[in-house]
Amino acid sequence: MISRKLVLPVLALILVLGSLPLTAQDEQINMTMWIRSTSFVAQSLVDEWNANNDSQIELTVIPPAEFVTKMGAAIAAGEPPDIASIDLIYTPAFASAGQLTDITEQVQALPFADDLTPAHMELGTYEGRNYAVPFGADVSFIIYNVGLFEQAGLDADNPPTTWDEMLEAMRAVDALGDDIYGYWYSMGCAGCNAFTFLPFIWASGGDVLSDDYSEATITTDPVVREALEFYNTIWEEGLVPEGASIDNGSNFFGAFAGGNIGMAGLGNFALSRLQNDYPDLRYGVFHIPGKDGGTASFTGGDVIGIPSGTEHVEEAWRFIAWAMSEEPQLEIYAANGHIPVRLALVDNEYFESDPRLVTAASSPSVGQTPYTVVYNDLFNDANGPWLEMLQVGILDGDIDGALELGQERFTQIMGG
Amino acid sequence: MTTRQATLRLWDPTWEQRRKLTGFLFVLPAVVFVVVFFIVPLALTFFMSLHDWPLFGDHHFTGFSNYTDLRDDRQFIKSLNFTFRYTLLITPPIFILGFILASLVRHNIRFIGIFRTIFFMPVVIGLGVSSLLWVWLLDDRVGIFNKILLDLNLIDRAQLFLGRPNTAMNVIVLSVMWKTVGFTMILLLAGLQAIPDELYESAEVDGAGYFRKLYYITLPLMRRTIALALILSVIGSVLAFDQFYIMTRGGPRNSTISIVYWIFNNSFTYFKMGYGSAMSIVLLVILVALTGAQLYVLREKSG
Repeated sequence: MISRKLVLPVLALILVLGSLPLTAQDEQINMTMWIRSTSFVAQSLVDEWNANNDSQIELTVIPPAEFVTKMGAAIAAGEPPDIASIDLIYTPAFASAGQLTDITEQVQALPFADDLTPAHMELGTYEGRNYAVPFGADVSFIIYNVGLFEQAGLDADNPPTTWDEMLEAMRAVDALGDDIYGYWYSMGCAGCNAFTFLPFIWASGGDVLSDDYSEATITTDPVVREALEFYNTIWEEGLVPEGASIDNGSNFFGAFAGGNIGMAGLGNFALSRLQNDYPDLRYGVFHIPGKDGGTASFTGGDVIGIPSGTEHVEEAWRFIAWAMSEEPQLEIYAANGHIPVRLALVDNEYFESDPRLVTAASSPSVGQTPYTVVYNDLFNDANGPWLEMLQVGILDGDIDGALELGQERFTQIMGG
Repeated sequence: MTTRQATLRLWDPTWEQRRKLTGFLFVLPAVVFVVVFFIVPLALTFFMSLHDWPLFGDHHFTGFSNYTDLRDDRQFIKSLNFTFRYTLLITPPIFILGFILASLVRHNIRFIGIFRTIFFMPVVIGLGVSSLLWVWLLDDRVGIFNKILLDLNLIDRAQLFLGRPNTAMNVIVLSVMWKTVGFTMILLLAGLQAIPDELYESAEVDGAGYFRKLYYITLPLMRRTIALALILSVIGSVLAFDQFYIMTRGGPRNSTISIVYWIFNNSFTYFKMGYGSAMSIVLLVILVALTGAQLYVLREKSG
């Protein structure tokens, strides 16, 4: 009885109190933006925006492992951030569950809409509608140690273009000494190998998922077997350190930076770190090759979108559109060695001086990303089918078993 | 005066009622604590287990299908098997070693506090921290174990202890033993010290040796303590998670995924919260049954 009597006064009080800050907000819009790791680009963009606009953005870093859970909880609780920079592979999952604002009209109105990196745009689209646009590109390629290549008598100016050439180069580098190895892969890290091993398959014209991403093609596509055999040869011949077999990714970058590894699949995140922390290490970059030629890359990175339920859709979009405009793309992205999200801006004065950046920056044009709402369960999960398949096939040498296991568990997960 | 007071008071309790009320107020904080932090979450977990409950979007009622799905979940069965194997492997050594240590530090001789402290010290480290520590101790490049074994010529090259299913299991058992044996030791030490010395003295007068004293005096009188130590140890092992999550990430080849690890994966990696809840309820039932069985076996036999 008491509670009923109190309902009206309490509601009235809440309304009065609730409206107070609202009237104050009319003058200035304060927005929150979530990102999944400290980002030089995001911080610079926000600083620049806050200095030149009435609306202000507060940047919050959410640890990557908790990002999806926290976003889900925040949206469910009605307290979403106004802007979110999301790992692009999760966009289909967010969009399909109605967690992002439909921005199709705004995107189509952009003069440079067709120029945005295709993989990001594809991942940001769900059932023909746009929910996110590119924010940062993390692309994969091979980095090689120029010093070791020269010592081994290899032509460092003409890096390998096929798997056989890669194997020959690995053997030559590996022969330089007991502590020197031809290659590195982190075989305890699921995501690392989605990033750097899948492109070997793609570049050879194969895939682990059908074109419409509806079924697994692990046993039906012969390229998957060939790629596993290629990596298995590297393991069997001892061209990678034994510790690679259990590295959970903590040594993904560090192994190559140590200077005793000939080649490693890495991404553009590694370039700035090498530049800053290992100035003496001479390295080059080449695209991940197919078996007999061709190239491919995994386009990872972030898209940016507006979570459902925010009041500041219009202002949030103004920031997003500005971030993709020419000046910040050149002066904040390119000037600091980050790949612009617009293909036409990849040829810029900042990149011209460094051929490695040009190679890296051209990756998005050959880049792909698997489009599936269960990406995490398939590829990223440390206990998922992707990593287990690689370990069984590459480390145990049981290729048949690996393919069957992969096909069966992929199908099971994709079936729901 | 008295009549006026009586009309003003709403409730005039007798002494007996007052005593009951006071008693109730004393246990109230504990009751509130148990209700808020155990009963309510348990009820919510059960409620969620009857639903398809994704992280995003709406949940809907599915009855007991989460429970029936468990039968077809091969990893669930595999994880149950693994967890029981782990429990069977780790419980006896912890108990026996704990008992030996407790016997060694039982008597109050000079400096005994130092030994008790040393044996107990790993217990106060978090399991997550100790797991990380062991990852480094076992490392193939900088780990002390490989260095010692190499220097002693027991192995000819550095071993990846966590890289093979059998050695991974063994080194994890070793690390958890190191971490928890001190706790079992303290429990058993308290039990040992509660046994009056007179009993041993009279047994010695009757000519009993060490093992007869152990079998006829120590073990029977420590029944309750042993039950407590075993139950706590078994519960801890069945709920094992941190060591596998940190030391092997469930690997190699998914061979070390404990049941709690699998619940964690389903709830927070695949976001199947309802399914994770159903598994939690099943695990709870299993644990209650296990503990009940242990209590039954170790019960005080009267008469």
